[in-house]
Amino acid sequence: MRKIRILIAKPGLDGHDRGALVIAQAMRDHGMEVIYTGLRQSPVQIATAAIQEDVDVVGLSSLSGAHNTLFPKVIEELEKRNAGDIPVIGGGVIPNEDIPFLLEKGIKRIFTSGSSTEEMAVYLKNLLRPEEAPVPPKRIAHIGIAVHQIKDALQFFTETIGLEVEAIEEVESEGVKIAFLKIGETRIELLEPLHDQSPIKGFLTKRGEGVHHIAFEVEDLAVRLSRLKEQGIRLINEEPKQGANDSQIAFIHPKEAHGVLVELCEQAKGSDE
Amino acid sequence: MPEKHESEKTKWIKDVEKTLKRFPERKETFHTSSEITVDYLYGTEDANYNLGYPGQYPYLRGIQPTMYRSRLWTMRQYAGFGSASETNKRFRYLLEQGQTGLSVAFDLPTQIGYDSDDVMSEGEVGKVGVAIDTLADMENLLDQIPLDKVSTSMTINAPAAILLCMYIAVGEKQGVSSEKLTGTIQNDILKEYIARGTYIFPPKPSMRLITDIFAYCQEHLPKFNTISISGYHIREAGSNAVQEAAFTIANGMAYVDAAIASGLDVDTFAPRLAFFFNAHNNFFEEIAKFRAARRIWAKIMKEHYEAKEPKSWKLRFHTQTGGSTLTAQQPDNNIVRVTMQALAAVLGGTQSLHTNSRDEALSLPTEESARIALRTQQIIAHESGVADTVDPLGGSYYVEALTDELEAKVMDYLERIKEFGGAVQAIEEGYMQREIHHNAYETQKRIESEEEIIVGLNQFKLEEEVNPDLLKVDEALEKAQINNLHKVRKKRNQEAVDQKLEALRRVAIDEEANLIPYILDAVKAYASIGEICNVLRDEFGEYTGF
Repeated sequence: MRKIRILIAKPGLDGHDRGALVIAQAMRDHGMEVIYTGLRQSPVQIATAAIQEDVDVVGLSSLSGAHNTLFPKVIEELEKRNAGDIPVIGGGVIPNEDIPFLLEKGIKRIFTSGSSTEEMAVYLKNLLRPEEAPVPPKRIAHIGIAVHQIKDALQFFTETIGLEVEAIEEVESEGVKIAFLKIGETRIELLEPLHDQSPIKGFLTKRGEGVHHIAFEVEDLAVRLSRLKEQGIRLINEEPKQGANDSQIAFIHPKEAHGVLVELCEQAKGSDE
Repeated sequence: MPEKHESEKTKWIKDVEKTLKRFPERKETFHTSSEITVDYLYGTEDANYNLGYPGQYPYLRGIQPTMYRSRLWTMRQYAGFGSASETNKRFRYLLEQGQTGLSVAFDLPTQIGYDSDDVMSEGEVGKVGVAIDTLADMENLLDQIPLDKVSTSMTINAPAAILLCMYIAVGEKQGVSSEKLTGTIQNDILKEYIARGTYIFPPKPSMRLITDIFAYCQEHLPKFNTISISGYHIREAGSNAVQEAAFTIANGMAYVDAAIASGLDVDTFAPRLAFFFNAHNNFFEEIAKFRAARRIWAKIMKEHYEAKEPKSWKLRFHTQTGGSTLTAQQPDNNIVRVTMQALAAVLGGTQSLHTNSRDEALSLPTEESARIALRTQQIIAHESGVADTVDPLGGSYYVEALTDELEAKVMDYLERIKEFGGAVQAIEEGYMQREIHHNAYETQKRIESEEEIIVGLNQFKLEEEVNPDLLKVDEALEKAQINNLHKVRKKRNQEAVDQKLEALRRVAIDEEANLIPYILDAVKAYASIGEICNVLRDEFGEYTGF
């Protein structure tokens, strides 16, 4: 598959090209081919260059306030040349209230001040290579809850709520004792530390009892991990590791998932969990 | 003495290292924007404390002996949007609010020498500044503003000569002779090639226009600052503090070289050179930067160019707080950033200051935001007490150590630029641009990895951002401006315009002639900026990037 080709263009007279240059280099570092037009390009020049260079997407940058005039003009000029299918995105100093107008005029997405280059690279890959976009996880495999004592916690989950215990196991390598409680197609896992070095102990000391992690079941764990790594997503496990019942698992850093520790798990073929 | 100090410090560091085992530091290393490593503590052995005195060479501690005890810095807020008469209202408002100097922002067509009805101007008229096509607009812009009392700074570069001539012409109409005019034109084309992008002509004729202005002003506008050699935009384009100071000083040297080569004596033009720096986030590094720049420039002017007049040695500068440090997220936080940056500029000894408005990452400032920005300066000046003694941080172990280290790093850059044959050649070979871009990209990566924390942007975020009220430039303005231009064209004496433009064309090819009197004639005949620049474009060619 050929690399994504992007034209980064500065329409109008604006000379602020720090953002355009930083994005050009960041997209190159993400494996894309980038053509930068330089300053002071008219919409006609930009449309012509996009077609001649056979790009997959056009990125426009303006910090001078001329975006409402110039961005839609670029789309018009592309359409005039039967190239209206080339998506156009934009960025710069663009007030939020102008964004609906620009989207209505056919700009696919506006990245305003403070957007990350990471976010943009992922957006472009998903937009232009949808076949490579992540498939939704199949289900929530389980929800992990950290508790001081499984036997104390079970009283609530079984007697008060009415769940049934499937099994209780000790996973020596993780320093944890686990109680499995089935609920529909998913499970609750109660996690009790086996000793003071257990990561669950650390969690309990810092935050007390509560939801510890959520596990998503996926079918392509190894591929996903390598793509997440490419996107710069921080991982606790960069390679799949052995989980319960022959499953493969890996954790994503909670900072990436807005404070939630996310586990990705892939079941061994033919097993239930 | 130093030996004893060193052993005491060594002993002390051993103690500290014990503590560090129990309380490790927040980061592996601490450093400034310019990759200067910051130590735990600074002491007598870390810097040269032979500081000299304010008002005395090499002016480390300030260019005047009494600094702000005699006169506060000029509070000069950059403003301009839409039409000349709208901007005139904002100017008169700011003067009523206690601002002490004007600073004009022009729109991009004006800055790049296009008339408002040029196809290239579409969508840009009146957006980032006021639209000026002919002398008629300048008359509206300065209506009822007495040019013998107010000093005016104009952010104009490639067509600086034209705007300066318009200013002279308005002065004449007010009965103010050109000798009495005070103010500054930016007129710094080299940083346009490097960082800001509003160039028109290639370097050689551009440098000629600049030295023509030097020569003309020396005779006719002795109180006017003929150039504002700007590091501001170099910093905004992504450089660090050392690069900002180094490239600015290198550009300054290129102008001095060009003026001397055109036959001017250094002491006739050097006193009118002014500088313009950025006040960025790293508080002490910024203060050190201003102080180091002053000392370096003084040494260069005295020792390298052998200027005799103390006035030629003094680096006078304007400061603006760093626009690119402002965030679109939680915009009120920007007021705090601006306060810190403004304080650094004052502690660094600035001659004038612009404080940015909180909403500049979103649009042009509203009147309320512009007022808060001005009030910030007034609070620093009148309430904080920092203006009550000269160079209050002079002798601070840390500040002096940083000042020395910055100076050494700037000198290294100047040496490298000299190897290229000077700033013009270094720019033509893309050297400064590459250095700046590299630093900009590394900064972006540090922000995205959260190695560098920006409050409200990558940490301490709000779930729901509030949309503040923003200033909107009326879209109908472009049409109205074009109509006005057409009216002026109809009313003026076309024969006179053609004649003045032809005269200008003839001197453009005569490198010995000074262009300014011919530009002044054309301006007075109401020739437009686009018409004048097109004559020069025909003869000089256009710059299209290196």
